[in-house]
Amino acid sequence: MSASTGAAASWRERGTGASVLVAGISSAFGVLILTGVGYLTAIISADPTVGDVRAVRYTLSILGTVILGVSVFVAAVVTANTFATIVAGRTRQIALMRLIGSSARTERRRVAGRGLAVGAVGAAAGLVAGIGLSYVLVAVLRGYLSPEAVSGVTYRVLQPSLLLPAGVVVLTTWAAAWVGSRRVLTVTPLQALASSTDRTTADVRHPVRTVISFVAIGIGAALLAAGIVVGLADPGGMVVAFSGGVVSFTGIVVGSVVLMPPVLRLTGRAFGSGVTARMAAQNALRYPERSARMTIGVVIGVTLVTLLAVASESTKAVLASASGGTLDPALDEAMNVTSAIMMSLVGVSAVIAAVGLVDLLTIGIVQRRRELGLLRSLGLSRPQANRMVLLEATHVAFTAVVVGVLLGIGYGWAAAQSMLGSVVGANVEEGHTLVLPAVPWLTVAVIAAAAAVLTLAAAAVPSRLATRVSPVEALAAT
Amino acid sequence: MYEGRYSRAMCRGCAVPSVETMTTDPFDLDHDRAPLAARVDGLFKTYGSGDGVVHALDGVSIGIRRGELTAIMGPSGSGKSTLMHIMAGLDRPTSGRAWLADTEITTLDDLALTELRRRRIGFVFQAFNLVPTLDALDNIRLPFELDGRRPTAEEAERIEAIIESLGLGERLRHRPHQLSGGQQQRVAIARALATQPDLVFADEPTGNLDSRSGREVLALLAAAVRDRGQTIAMVTHDPVAASHADRVVFLADGRIAADKPRQSAEQIAAHMLAADQVAA
Ligand SMILES: Nc1ncnc2c1ncn2[C@@H]1O[C@H](COP(=O)(O)OP(=O)(O)OP(=O)(O)O)[C@@H](O)[C@H]1O
Ligand SMILES: [Mg+2]
Repeated sequence: MSASTGAAASWRERGTGASVLVAGISSAFGVLILTGVGYLTAIISADPTVGDVRAVRYTLSILGTVILGVSVFVAAVVTANTFATIVAGRTRQIALMRLIGSSARTERRRVAGRGLAVGAVGAAAGLVAGIGLSYVLVAVLRGYLSPEAVSGVTYRVLQPSLLLPAGVVVLTTWAAAWVGSRRVLTVTPLQALASSTDRTTADVRHPVRTVISFVAIGIGAALLAAGIVVGLADPGGMVVAFSGGVVSFTGIVVGSVVLMPPVLRLTGRAFGSGVTARMAAQNALRYPERSARMTIGVVIGVTLVTLLAVASESTKAVLASASGGTLDPALDEAMNVTSAIMMSLVGVSAVIAAVGLVDLLTIGIVQRRRELGLLRSLGLSRPQANRMVLLEATHVAFTAVVVGVLLGIGYGWAAAQSMLGSVVGANVEEGHTLVLPAVPWLTVAVIAAAAAVLTLAAAAVPSRLATRVSPVEALAAT
Repeated sequence: MYEGRYSRAMCRGCAVPSVETMTTDPFDLDHDRAPLAARVDGLFKTYGSGDGVVHALDGVSIGIRRGELTAIMGPSGSGKSTLMHIMAGLDRPTSGRAWLADTEITTLDDLALTELRRRRIGFVFQAFNLVPTLDALDNIRLPFELDGRRPTAEEAERIEAIIESLGLGERLRHRPHQLSGGQQQRVAIARALATQPDLVFADEPTGNLDSRSGREVLALLAAAVRDRGQTIAMVTHDPVAASHADRVVFLADGRIAADKPRQSAEQIAAHMLAADQVAA
């Protein structure tokens, strides 16, 4: 018994550990963005040739806020999901507390309180790390920019405003833990007594969410199409298409709990009909909502990175053909640098989501320790157990990445087409340009490699468990 | 290869009978009467060390006769599960040896043990017997699937007959959470019987059931022994359950306290009571 509670405690730590990391990355990222925007604004303000400093500052701030907002949102989804998973794994203990007289609200407050602590620790660590990195960032920018631009510009990294992202992270982590702990309210004292079979939540319905999501996707798609049509005559089509992209992508994110499970079911078939493969594929569908939230963060990050890469690559292709074959090297360089910076900024949310995915997959498999013990006793060999764990991680990680890449290519193409459809160039068709989606294979390769690393990371702890745990011990665990 | 193992194993067993062998007379070496499906010799299993040491098994030697239902009884903590786990290749003894038919299992590596469990041993546990993501039929076929093959025509026929006799025909496409506790245990029994293993181990298979489902499950286990010649070793606390057995073995403090032929429930209860009084 002591062994099993000891193990439970350490897994609990694992879940909160990853949430601390997620909060830390978010707040460090926020600090870095504030510093970057602040420093660039200071340089531009010092430059007498730039006219409207306020407009530049405004644009940079909006951009920074949007990028930070996306990663904070992803972090919140990850944290809420982590807490929901931890609660699911602790149902019995919570039920026991309820049985001896603790109220559901007290129990929920206990879980959310943990979220507050996690957020505070993570945000504080992130603040410190972010400030350290900010000095590095300023030094790097100073070295990169021309000496005339930076001469005479003094910038103080330490500013009270840096507390802002840390504060936001503490609050969102707390709120996410509160949302994630909702399920505590549904735990009844009786669940401490029942030794019932593991029940999956396969049949949860979300009618309202489904409707909102489908309407948003429909309106967004229509706007995207309209933007592309308008774009054939006028670059302003880009604005219409952009709003369509935001609306439809929001629809996809909102409806992820409805949309992702069928996709996971579909990709699960690709692993074949062997029993280990089928069990691995089924495992992602055991808690469809959890899997959906676990993947959607990665989908968001990968979609945005791919979108930027495809849009920039397609734009370069069109501009090249419009200017008779080759792109001006200076423009090429500028576009490459810009898109690389944007991609790495957006990539932070993908990293946050990846941390969450690894953590949630690990907790999910570890919580099935007893089942692993059963399978081992029935004749699942260690290599088979390893393969099952690895397949499960591959299934979830690659589904998320593939969906993200496909969406990114679609959105990236729509962006390029709506913006450049009216440019007259080589691919002229009745005065319009048909932009072909240029797929940046390097980016896709990097994303695929990242997905592989993600898979291995997610499978690492569970495989160790699968090979080390003795069937007897796992069967004895409550 | 099996021949070699067999003769070596038997010679060791015959040549150096341990003290425990003598006192509890656990080996039925009279092979003409009932060959052994499994046996263990001088098993010790110790947990912890120093003051906190626990002798879960304290020199156990016993043979399980083929084609019999053997009940293993004894107070909580007497070592029943430990003995079963070692006999089934789920756990290793601190010292001593164990055989399944003519295979010495205490020397096998993990992969060989895993394959042995898959092909030659069946399990029915008290609860959590089934994989929740697989339906009843897939659970029953699991040992074959883990072996990377479909059941042969003959095996398929056998599985069908088992399913029929356990009354599971209607439920094959149901997931475990859609089945009652008794139905889940029946699926587990079907799985354990499907490979026609050398030995089925059942650890308190009725422990989680109401008395009626419990009786049904017992009747099914007894029928498997009677009709299919299946060898079953069953741990139980219930004298009525044990009265279905051909033989009742009592454990106490990690040793074999008694080894009796078929008993009535009253006789078993009387023995348990007497043992309790000795202990007290
Ligand atoms: N992993 C372990 N670590 C320490 N002690 C153990 C461990 N497993 C079993 N024991 C001890 O070994 C002894 C025998 O345990 P076992 O589970 O075999 O008993 P049992 O006869 O099956 O009891 P029950 O009827 O309660 O199931 C007990 O004293 C138990 O506490
Ligand atoms: Mg036991």
